[in-house]
Amino acid sequence: MRNGRRRFSLKNSLMTKYLLIIVSALVLIPFVYPLIAVLLTVQIWAGHHGDTEPYRSASHLESIWHEEAARLDGATPEKIDAELRRLKSVYPKASMFWVDASGRTRLRLPDGQEVPAQWSVPYTVQFMKEASNFRIFTVVAFLGDKPGHGFMVLKVPREAFESPAAIMDARQGTILISGILIVLGLFLFVSLLFFYRIRRRLVLLQQAMSEPTDSGIPSPVETGRSDEIGRLEQSFNEMIRKLERSREREAEEEALRRDLIAKLSHDLRTPLTAIRGHAYSLGQEKLSDKGRESLRLIDRKIDYLGRLIENLLSFTLLTSGKYPYRPQRVDIVRMAKTLFAGWYPAFEQAGFEIDSDLPETAIYWELDPQWLERVLDNYLQNVLRHAQSGRYVGLKVSEADGGTIIIEDRGPGMTGESEEKGAGIGLSIAALMLRDMRLQSEVLSGPEGTTVRISRG
Amino acid sequence: MAKRVLYIEDDADIGQWVKEDLERRGYEVEWLQSGDRAAERAAQADLVVLDVMLPGLDGFTIGQRLKREAPNVPILMLSARTSVDDKLQGLQFADDYLTKPFHPDELAARLEVLQRRYGLSAEQQIQCGHLLIKPELQTVIDGRTNEEIPLTAKQLQILMYFLRNRGLILTKEQIYEAVWGEPYMEGDKTVNVHIRYLREKIELDPSNPQIIETIRGIGYRVRP
Repeated sequence: MRNGRRRFSLKNSLMTKYLLIIVSALVLIPFVYPLIAVLLTVQIWAGHHGDTEPYRSASHLESIWHEEAARLDGATPEKIDAELRRLKSVYPKASMFWVDASGRTRLRLPDGQEVPAQWSVPYTVQFMKEASNFRIFTVVAFLGDKPGHGFMVLKVPREAFESPAAIMDARQGTILISGILIVLGLFLFVSLLFFYRIRRRLVLLQQAMSEPTDSGIPSPVETGRSDEIGRLEQSFNEMIRKLERSREREAEEEALRRDLIAKLSHDLRTPLTAIRGHAYSLGQEKLSDKGRESLRLIDRKIDYLGRLIENLLSFTLLTSGKYPYRPQRVDIVRMAKTLFAGWYPAFEQAGFEIDSDLPETAIYWELDPQWLERVLDNYLQNVLRHAQSGRYVGLKVSEADGGTIIIEDRGPGMTGESEEKGAGIGLSIAALMLRDMRLQSEVLSGPEGTTVRISRG
Repeated sequence: MAKRVLYIEDDADIGQWVKEDLERRGYEVEWLQSGDRAAERAAQADLVVLDVMLPGLDGFTIGQRLKREAPNVPILMLSARTSVDDKLQGLQFADDYLTKPFHPDELAARLEVLQRRYGLSAEQQIQCGHLLIKPELQTVIDGRTNEEIPLTAKQLQILMYFLRNRGLILTKEQIYEAVWGEPYMEGDKTVNVHIRYLREKIELDPSNPQIIETIRGIGYRVRP
């Protein structure tokens, strides 16, 4: 980067940034398991503290249950009911009931447990057997701690005492997968953000490039960071500056050339006029036929040079857009008629048969009449100079298709040999002007003659 | 009486030659090599021939000044009409244009036309076919019988317009606007009708007109 103000550095590279993102994702994955585990453990312990606290452990609960039963010695059934309800509110996960001395089931909390209303001996035995079920922790305590007074039963699902470590053990797989998913999601999100921002900057740059100002050159963009895109923006601005400078230089040169040609054309015309004057004076003298013929030739060449100079100047002005164009609504029938009227005597004198055909109604076009006049002049001059052999000129305006101006001749055609080939610049000027006026010209030229049709196309 | 031409040209070679040529053709020529004194001399001239490219004041400024000082003196500009400078577009003061290198015959012919257009050739009588026209008396006489041909005012105006522009082809739009002094309306037949009546009076054979020639599709012409 010879011209770069900021040198390329890895630190500012987009590539480095993205590599960093990938590496941090890779590094994060091994840490996922311990990290998540720690997080979960903390959370579970925190949860255990509140939620599983009254259950604490099976033995603790068992002793509480027995204490309660002992305290209810000789209590009335209502008191026992009230006590059980209180206990239920302390241990909501537990279910409990009590059976009186006659073996009848009293209060059940919650209601609807599969417990017979009247306890028989076989059922009692069966109940005690089932009470050793691993999943449900069951405590049976005699009221007043003595058999015969009835008993109360507490059932608690074993999960209520389960330790966090046990829970963690069970969820191990889920934790790992969800951890990886989280990291992956995070990685995708960061990548997306990364590329979205790159894309946005690129789109902005593209818009700046494709929206040129009036001068045809895009305006510079604001440069931000010094990464790859930032340097692209700087180069873009640099390019615009160069373009503007060269455009200015070009305009200056163009103006210089225009002035030069304008001056030159005047400076050429003056001696040419003097030559003509002297040739004319010479013509007043007594001369041989050969001398007269030479003078005639000189005269013709002077005419030709004069036209060349005029065309050169017009062409220069036209191509640099300095030929004044003032469009207005013009009746082309009337314009063509006046123009043909001016050319008529010249054609007549050259022995042309003149076929003019113009409509009675006006046809309006929007253009600079001087331009159209100049174009038609060039074509008519071309006919007069190069199509004399045909002795025919057609000057017509047709109403078809919004108007068509037609100039016909029966000369050797534009490709045919003619004395002054260099005058082709006149036709180039006509073509240029027609293009700028958005008119269409159709030129049919062959050995039988040439037809020029000018229309709005 | 010889017509006075004020000729402004900086190039000595050309100036000398044109002055001599015009004098040979019967003009009285005052040749100035710069435009500084042109405006004060213009009043005494009948015609002005002005070169555009001049040292000091440029031709445009001088032309505009001349037209202000002497609006009735026609100006022939030695430049291209469709040329060049933006300024030329606003060139309303010039009555005609001639591009260098012009031919002396062309210059003389243009000066003739300009004089006629400005009514300067106050000829006593104009011959046109069998007609004798006396512009000052506004009368047209049949040369064979020596009797006056009675023309309406408009017919006379049309005929005079043709004579002022003798040799040029005139469209009916041009004739209408010159004689009636108002813009031509599309499809108007007034000019055709007037010319038909005019021909009935002045042509020997109105169905085969010899004086006012019809140029098909374009207009009319009175040959010189």
